[in-house]
Order: sequence, then structure tokens, then C-alpha cells
Amino acid sequence: MKNILALLRRFYLFLLFLALQAIALTMLFRNTRFHGAEFVRHSSDWVGGIYSQRAQLSEYLRLGEINDQLSLENALLRSEAQENYWNLRTELDTLNDTTSIQRYVYRTAKVVNASVNREKNYIVVDRGTLGSVTADMGVIAGGNIVGVVRSASEHFAVVMPVIHSDFKASVRLRKSGAFGSLVWRGGDAQIADVIDIPKNIPVAPGDTIVTSGYSTYFPSNINVGTVEWVDDSDNDYHLIKVRMGADFRRLDHVLIVSDIFKQEQDTLLNKVEQQDAANSKR
Amino acid sequence: MLQTVSVNIVRIVFLILLQALVVSRVQLFDGLIFPWIYIFGILMLPFETPRWLVMVFAFMVGLFMDYFSGPIGLHTSACVFLGFMQTIVQNVLAPREGYDLTQRPTVQRMGLAWYVTYAGVLTLAHHSWFFFMEVFRFSDFLYQVFHILLSTLATLVLMTIGQYLIYNSKGAQV
Repeated sequence: MKNILALLRRFYLFLLFLALQAIALTMLFRNTRFHGAEFVRHSSDWVGGIYSQRAQLSEYLRLGEINDQLSLENALLRSEAQENYWNLRTELDTLNDTTSIQRYVYRTAKVVNASVNREKNYIVVDRGTLGSVTADMGVIAGGNIVGVVRSASEHFAVVMPVIHSDFKASVRLRKSGAFGSLVWRGGDAQIADVIDIPKNIPVAPGDTIVTSGYSTYFPSNINVGTVEWVDDSDNDYHLIKVRMGADFRRLDHVLIVSDIFKQEQDTLLNKVEQQDAANSKR
Repeated sequence: MLQTVSVNIVRIVFLILLQALVVSRVQLFDGLIFPWIYIFGILMLPFETPRWLVMVFAFMVGLFMDYFSGPIGLHTSACVFLGFMQTIVQNVLAPREGYDLTQRPTVQRMGLAWYVTYAGVLTLAHHSWFFFMEVFRFSDFLYQVFHILLSTLATLVLMTIGQYLIYNSKGAQV
């Protein structure tokens, strides 16, 4: 008797199992006939609400990727800005609107490796010749100068930053327009020197230093930094200590500037220099 | 009694959300390992739960899960199978004197060996049923077997870790 009851109990469970399984399988096979029905379900009802909450959350986690897109867009917009165009207009009364052609092109890159503690520091970025990055292009970050590309492989480029003992760039005081050279002599990675500005030109802490546009590395008026203090112990020239705008310890996204006129400007200068050398020999 | 019911319901709702929003998003080795941790909420039902209720509960859980992923009926089917197997496995693994009705199927109360056997067999049953129903073809059989075994292992490890996180050494819920 006991055995029969036990058997019945197992039997009733098995029947329940069959019944529930039949319902489940009916739902399954009816549903799979209409592919895509589940997507409608996911987007419309309360499940969709929960999933969209999650999407908001994961968007937050994707901010890095979104940043990449935004910096790319920034580079494009910067390339189209007015100061990157070379004015072709020679007459003031022209009505033709195609008055300028582009001179500077900006490309984004990400810093993959950087040093700040040595005398000759380098920065490696993830753009190379395949991304049209070649040697002697300027590198800026957040509107501040960072360095110059020294060499490029297919996928990477090595940048000589301002904080490299061989670095030299032409800069000027924004206020007075006086030109000098930007160098770095080791020590603090945020402080560089501006030399070759004569003492008769007034310089005060807080003044802004920008690029001169004389070299073909950088467009003019790219921010370098602000004057920290001025050392006048030397006789003829100021020794200006500059706190640089770019934070070399926290470089992430940089822009690589290429000058379309570079070759033209350099060959012209070379030609004149060679002519002068030949003349003086004579 | 009421507390037991509410604890089990809150737990399964939490687990389903955790499954749908977090665990299912983690793709290990292109989906080779795909743990379904929500079945923890079915495995943890008290021994005193009526057997028909276990199966109806499993049915509801599966249906709920189906609303989050895949075609309706897939999880339902696998969970009903799990619920059915659960009573059988509990009978087979029962101590000689039977279960103490206030006991819970936890590591702390039943021991690690018992728990791993219990949860391992049931997880394997559920995952096998689920994955075979999902693909419904046996062409890449070896891959499927691998897939099921690794996923079962992952689920089991996650559930066992969860046990230590949720229950204290006396087996009472923290």
C-alpha cells in the first residue's frame, strides 16, 4: 500500500512535469516561428525599460570610446578653423569667396607610452605613417604645444617633447610680440626656459608665451605656457622660466599638426641658403 | 513562513536581474562559457517546499527569465526540468534519517561535498537541457559538450562563492 502511494506520488509529479513541459515547449515552438518577435518585446514593454536603464549605465562605462570620437571631431573642426587657412587674397576689393586654402591639418593620436623623469624624454603615440604621420610634425594637446614627431613607423610615432634636452622651438611673448627660443634643461617637467629675448623688452610673471609660427612645426599662437619668473642675472638676455600648459605627466589624447606648406617653405629657404653659401665662397 | 516566502521571492528577483543585466553581458571566450546563475534561486528553496510548488516556482522563474532573453519557453522548459530533477536528486542524496525540515540546502548546513554534488548534478541537468534546446542540432556536438561542461563549472563556482557571501557559518541568512 505504502509502495503504491509512493509510486502515485512520483507519478503525479511526473504528470505535472509533463504538463508544464508541454506548455513551455508549445510557447517555445510557437515563438521561434516568428523571429524578431522578441526584439519587439525587448523594446516595448517593461523589460525594455530595464534594459534602457542598463544602456545608460554602460554608456557611462563607454565614455573613453566616446572621448575618442569627440577628439576626432575636434581635430576635424580645428582643421577647418580660419587660422589654418593661408590667405590667397591679394586685392581688398575681391568678391570671390574662395580666398583661402588650408595650411594646417590636425590628426588625433593617443599616447601609448611616455617618460618625464629623464633628460631625454620621449612620447610614443599610436599613429604612424599609415595614419599620414611623419617626422617633423608638431604635437599639441589641449591647445598647448607638446613636442615634435621625430620618426614614425607604420603604426607608431616617437615624439620629442619640449622636455627633451635637444628640443628647441621658436616662441614669442604674446603681449609684446618679442621672439625667443624655447628650450628645456632638465629638472621639473613642467618648467621650460625661454632664452634670447633681450632685456629691453619687459617681461612679467603671468605673461603668456605662444608659438611664433616661424618654424613649420606649429601654427602661430599655439599656447606654450605662462611666465613663472624671470632670471636677469645674465647680462644681455632674459632667462624666462615658463610653466607649460601641457601636463606631461597626464598626456592622453594629442593632436598631430602637419603643415602642408612645409616642404615648399623648407626648400625655398634651403635654396636661398645654398645660393648665399656659394656667393660667399666666391 | 511568510519570511521564508518573501526571502525566496526577493532572492530570485535579484538573481534574475543580476543574470540579465550583468552576468549575461560577460562573454568569456566568445560565449564558450555562459553561466546561468539565476537557478541558484531554485536550488536554494527549502526542503520543506511542496514538490509541486518547486516545479510551479521553477516554471514561473523560467518564464520571467525568458522575458529578458531569448525566445519565450526556452528557460521555462529548462527550469521545469530542473524543478523535476531537484526532487529526485534530493531523494537520492537524502541522509538516512531524512532531512530536517528547517534545513536549507546550503554548504554550511549540508557540507561542501553534499552541496557540490547536489548543485553540480542539477546545474549540469539544467545547462544540458537548456543548451541542447537552444541549438537543437548536434552537428558540433563536441563543442556543445565543452560549452555545457565549462558553463556548468562556472555557474557552480559562482554559486558556491555566493553561498559564502550570503550565509554565515551557521547557515543563517545574513
